[in-house]
Amino acid sequence: MLAVRDGELDALGELFERHHGPLFGFLVKLTGSRTAAEDVAQTVFQRMLKYRHTYRDDGSFCAWMYHLARRCAADHFRKTSHGPASTDPVQLDDRADERPDASQDAAARDEQALLHVALARLDRDDREILLLSRFQELSFAEIAGILECSVGAAKVRAHRALKELRDVFLNLQRTGRS
Amino acid sequence: MDCTRAQTRFPELLDGRLSEADTADVRAHLASCPSCQREYASLAQTLNALDQLPATRPGPRLRANFYAMLEEEKNSAASLRAAVVRRRHAARVSLWRWILSPLAALAIALGGFHLGTRYGAPATSTPAPVADLETKRELADLRSKFDSMSQVIATSLLQQQSTNQRLQQVLATLDQKSPNQKVLADLIGALALDPSVNVRLSALDALYPHSDQQLVRTGVLASLPREQNPLVQVAMIDFLVAARDRTAAPELEKIARSETVDRAVRDAAKRGLAQL
Repeated sequence: MLAVRDGELDALGELFERHHGPLFGFLVKLTGSRTAAEDVAQTVFQRMLKYRHTYRDDGSFCAWMYHLARRCAADHFRKTSHGPASTDPVQLDDRADERPDASQDAAARDEQALLHVALARLDRDDREILLLSRFQELSFAEIAGILECSVGAAKVRAHRALKELRDVFLNLQRTGRS
Repeated sequence: MDCTRAQTRFPELLDGRLSEADTADVRAHLASCPSCQREYASLAQTLNALDQLPATRPGPRLRANFYAMLEEEKNSAASLRAAVVRRRHAARVSLWRWILSPLAALAIALGGFHLGTRYGAPATSTPAPVADLETKRELADLRSKFDSMSQVIATSLLQQQSTNQRLQQVLATLDQKSPNQKVLADLIGALALDPSVNVRLSALDALYPHSDQQLVRTGVLASLPREQNPLVQVAMIDFLVAARDRTAAPELEKIARSETVDRAVRDAAKRGLAQL
């Protein structure tokens, strides 16, 4: 990114190739929509270009990228005035290709669909920290930098978010079985 | 260790981020506390389910849009001005290199010649392996078809003025559900010959939906030995493996054995061979 900041714009291509997959995966789970995730990911790289002169070599590039991604996602949620679109498995049309082709009842019992629903029901802050700590291979120091809080606070929030997800997920499983 | 302290460490234990000493303490508590065992098991089950969520890959449009945006930025006035300043600076820095490099090269060449004549063994020629005539003829036929096709495409590419225009041309094909052979040939030509990495990667993306066609697979396979950029090489290998093209195996073996090829590319070739 230092090369990009200094004007070697082609170097951003390499960063894109290395990081756009994990970034997209994070944004799909955060927004609950492939379309929104592609839009937000595009905006993240746009802002990297636009604000490249603000990049400082005082942390990891990933931390900076997810810092931008959070802000872009927040803008997206502000514009759409709500969090992840779907909280009912049968309405997850955007993810239709990621779920087993099954009837509505079967989908409601499907563990992955339930987990998507559980994730969507979490507060956005909880969902963010859970996804950052679990999927993005970031240290808690980096996560704390992204969330602008202390390392201890990041750990506490991650724990709380995991417990919240567990409660919602198990509750949905129980409801699905009954 | 009490239950509260143990439970605050569960997330780090599950993530494998806990120190050895703390891990031992928490596990010792877990062994004797059914309540914490239930709590730990439910968190582990949730995390396990989270890990099982399928990885999602973006569509080709994200990459295409990104490279279009990058080209636009590179062509913007501010970027061009910055590039001029950078080039001037680089020219000043490399002045001494221009003076010293030829002298160093001459010294190395003279040294090499001296050592070679003094210690080197006389050159021997090894007989070329005798290839099957039929295979040779097919390869020659394929190569000549590919070369003639490449020349046509190279001519049409040269008529385009900028990378951005060529990229736009490639992006336009993404909207075509069943492009004709001419469009596919153009894309293969862009993949084989375009000087821009961005255009070549976008062309490969655009070819993905048509990997079931022999022409497309042959084109990608024929372009692979010419490709020098590791990113594009890996993308081409992934393409051929995803298309289950077994005819790619000899080329992949060659890449996997070559020491001059980038390590990431060699690894991709080895993985590909295992899958084929």
